[in-house]
Amino acid sequence: MSDVTLILQAVGRGADEAPEELLPMVYEELRRLAAARMAHESAGHTLQPTALVHEAWLRMVRDDHRTWINRAYFFAAAAEAMRRILIEHARRKSALKHGGGQERLNIDDLELAEATRDEKLLLVDEGLAELSVAHPERARVVVLKYFGGMTNQEVAETIGISARTVNRHWLCAQAWLFERIQIQLQRFF
Amino acid sequence: MDEPMNDGVARERVEELFCAALEWTDPDKRRRFLDHACAGDPPLRCSVEAMLAAQSNFEKNFSLHRPALASGFPIPQVRGDLPDLGEGAGTIPPLEEEVGKRIGAFKLLQKIGEGGCGSVYMAEQELPVRRRVALKIIKLGMDTKNVIARFEAERQALAMMDHPNIARVLDAGATETGRPFFVMELVRGVKITTYCDENRLDARQRLELFTHICHAIQHAHQKGIIHRDIKPSNVLVTMHDGVPVPKVIDFGIAKAIEGKLTDQTLFTTCEQFVGTPAYMSPEQAGMSGLDVDTRSDIYSLGVLLYELLTSKTPFDQQELLQSGLDEMRRTLREREPHRPSTKLDGLRGEDLTQTAICRQVEPRRLKLLLRGDLDWMVMKALEKDRQRRYQTANGLAMDIQRYLGNEPVIARPPSRLYRFQKLVHRNRAVFLGVGAVSVTLLAGLGTSSWLFVREREASSNEARLHAEAEDRAEIAQAALLINRGKLEEADQLVSQIQIPVTEPSLEAAGVFRRLGDWNTTQNRWPAAADRYLKLLQANQVDKSDLTDEATRDLLRTGPTLLVAGSVTNYHQFVRETIARFASTRNPVAAEQVIKISLIVPTDAVTLKSLEPLASVMEQSIVVPNSSANEEDYMLAWRALALTLFEYRRGDYTNAIVWGRKCLGYSDSRPTCIAMSHLILAMAFSQTHQRVDARSELILGRGLVDPKFPNGRQRITDPGSETSGLWHDWVMARILLQEATASVEGARMTVR
Repeated sequence: MSDVTLILQAVGRGADEAPEELLPMVYEELRRLAAARMAHESAGHTLQPTALVHEAWLRMVRDDHRTWINRAYFFAAAAEAMRRILIEHARRKSALKHGGGQERLNIDDLELAEATRDEKLLLVDEGLAELSVAHPERARVVVLKYFGGMTNQEVAETIGISARTVNRHWLCAQAWLFERIQIQLQRFF
Repeated sequence: MDEPMNDGVARERVEELFCAALEWTDPDKRRRFLDHACAGDPPLRCSVEAMLAAQSNFEKNFSLHRPALASGFPIPQVRGDLPDLGEGAGTIPPLEEEVGKRIGAFKLLQKIGEGGCGSVYMAEQELPVRRRVALKIIKLGMDTKNVIARFEAERQALAMMDHPNIARVLDAGATETGRPFFVMELVRGVKITTYCDENRLDARQRLELFTHICHAIQHAHQKGIIHRDIKPSNVLVTMHDGVPVPKVIDFGIAKAIEGKLTDQTLFTTCEQFVGTPAYMSPEQAGMSGLDVDTRSDIYSLGVLLYELLTSKTPFDQQELLQSGLDEMRRTLREREPHRPSTKLDGLRGEDLTQTAICRQVEPRRLKLLLRGDLDWMVMKALEKDRQRRYQTANGLAMDIQRYLGNEPVIARPPSRLYRFQKLVHRNRAVFLGVGAVSVTLLAGLGTSSWLFVREREASSNEARLHAEAEDRAEIAQAALLINRGKLEEADQLVSQIQIPVTEPSLEAAGVFRRLGDWNTTQNRWPAAADRYLKLLQANQVDKSDLTDEATRDLLRTGPTLLVAGSVTNYHQFVRETIARFASTRNPVAAEQVIKISLIVPTDAVTLKSLEPLASVMEQSIVVPNSSANEEDYMLAWRALALTLFEYRRGDYTNAIVWGRKCLGYSDSRPTCIAMSHLILAMAFSQTHQRVDARSELILGRGLVDPKFPNGRQRITDPGSETSGLWHDWVMARILLQEATASVEGARMTVR
């Protein structure tokens, strides 16, 4: 997977669970990057999560004292961090747009064709919450691939299943999510 | 929402097929895969398609990893020249309930059309770009999810279509009430037939307009899209700077609605939609579930052309509908329509006058105009057997352009023999089906291996269909090059085509025959042999005992293989020829098969298998058929074949008897005389009558040698029946070499 020297400190722990101390670290790093990036983007629409995650990874492994980070752990944490950042961002903007104060996305006046990227993100995230109940493994795949931008192979090694299964989970999850979202937006289709 | 299926095992299977289907990115291939994988299980298919649609929608709408989040495929530039309809508000018909309403991102502005199955609205889209579009809303209670899923499956290919004569289909969706709708580029125009009549376009102008439509259809076919519902109301003419531009609309829609011709859909609700019977190809009308390919559109183009020229369709729409489903199918599959020129005879006086006036000619002249080339071109497009149609829309367009340029056209009246055969074989020969997939064999296998085998089958079937389509395109291209005299290029093109793939078609046969002949004139015998072998394979359209062309093709192939040095292929060819004609009672066929089979010495098995043919011929000479009106030269050929047959099996005495008899006929062809001298020479040589042998050899050589000056391998012209055809001379030359060797004791060589 990676030619980076990996020091596995948390031996025996499942790779699908990143070390607890990792998440806050990655989260901070990503947030910093995202903020810097968004300051330069006019509409704030072009946040490329994959690029951000990879950039964060490069920054963190460059720091010598962090070479203990396992790449798989990192990405698992980064994906989750990225998800949170994107959702927070989207909520904030959506709240602003709708006069503030709204926690949840108001889907009643939303048409998919007109939905902004932020609104769409929120829709996916709501679907994801349901998916994590119905198919936990698939939900994990979605986080890693969708928010973390990982390849099938990377996801496979992180979770410990075959790349083929990852692909299948990913494809089925997409169909599942769309159907959920479609129900939420009763007026679409 | 519930899971697609409650049964866990069934869901497993749906997901498995869903993932497998996604391996095919090409929509057509994917569809074929599903056709195989879900054969006989429509609910399974529905579930898989629904998942596919949902997944593709997710990707389209929610992908984080693509810069553009706009839905769908690239949206064509909005054209500035669409008239603003707001100004014409006074003329807008009374508002319908739906006008003004929003459907998805669209606001309905005005109803602009109504068909049996749907209404078309002009609508305004605000996002992502503000523009006017046409929205076609399907009326009847169709299975919306599946309609959209089928549309999605073809979406990629539809997006790739970009042609000035095609109106783009932009999107599909469903209304609140669950009715499917399609979003299309708005075309403001009139039906092509109306346009032509109102503007009194003459035949030439109509044909020119029609070639544009052919090119549009060709473009779609190259992208893998079959229209399936070509008819005047789907071809609109708009004006651009005073020039009429036809636009084909509704691409992808017939497919999405999946018009299956059943009693229910056709007669209760939807006669307008599932393909309009008058324009429907025989294979579309069939129940066989036979795949519909691009040539189905060629048929519908033929109907359209018929109507543009005569004002009528080959079969009357009302009559078809009233005749009932079975009768309708029978008509479409079996009944031969009138030729355009004779169709005019059936018109009532004022109809004919009106039809002629609209085309700016007198009624009598219109009929004369259609008779001949135009008749045959239209009829070629309307062939019941798709192998006999123009193989591509371009092929049809090219023939029309040839006609307009006063060049000879490819379409020809069908031979009498062919018409007779059609009468006999009608019920069997219409469809040459694609090999059925044997499902039963696979029943015992587990799911995953079952799937694997199915996938493989689908993809090999796929590969075959693809190769065939490519071959067809190359053949059409080659036909064009030949027509322009560019034989070298044409030959280069077809040299790529692999022998087992080529589909039988008359066009292909014509191309290979022409290029085989050309190669022999270029002294390229191995190439010629290759083209002829392909010709034989391509010419299995008429599975007849005997046609002139078919046996002429055999007469070309045999000697050519020998000159090319392909002795193994020659013997293989002989075995196949004998097998094909073994039971013939026709003495002419028998004679030719024997001749072709015995150009060089052969084995006892072959000789044995030729015995029935020899006795057919012998009978015909001994007991002449007075009604057959056979001329002497034909009997001479038969005697020659018997001479050869007896000589090859070592009955030299009988060979000499038949050889002398052959030379006794008056009016024999020089090739026949030369060959009989040569075989006699060998027979005398074998029986040690050296003087006779030598003199026969000299007589034979005297006829043959002058035809091959300077070591040439064939006469330069094709030759004729009376002076001897080129391949008969080649055969005579091969016999001359054998005879020379036999008489002069030199080593015999084939070349």
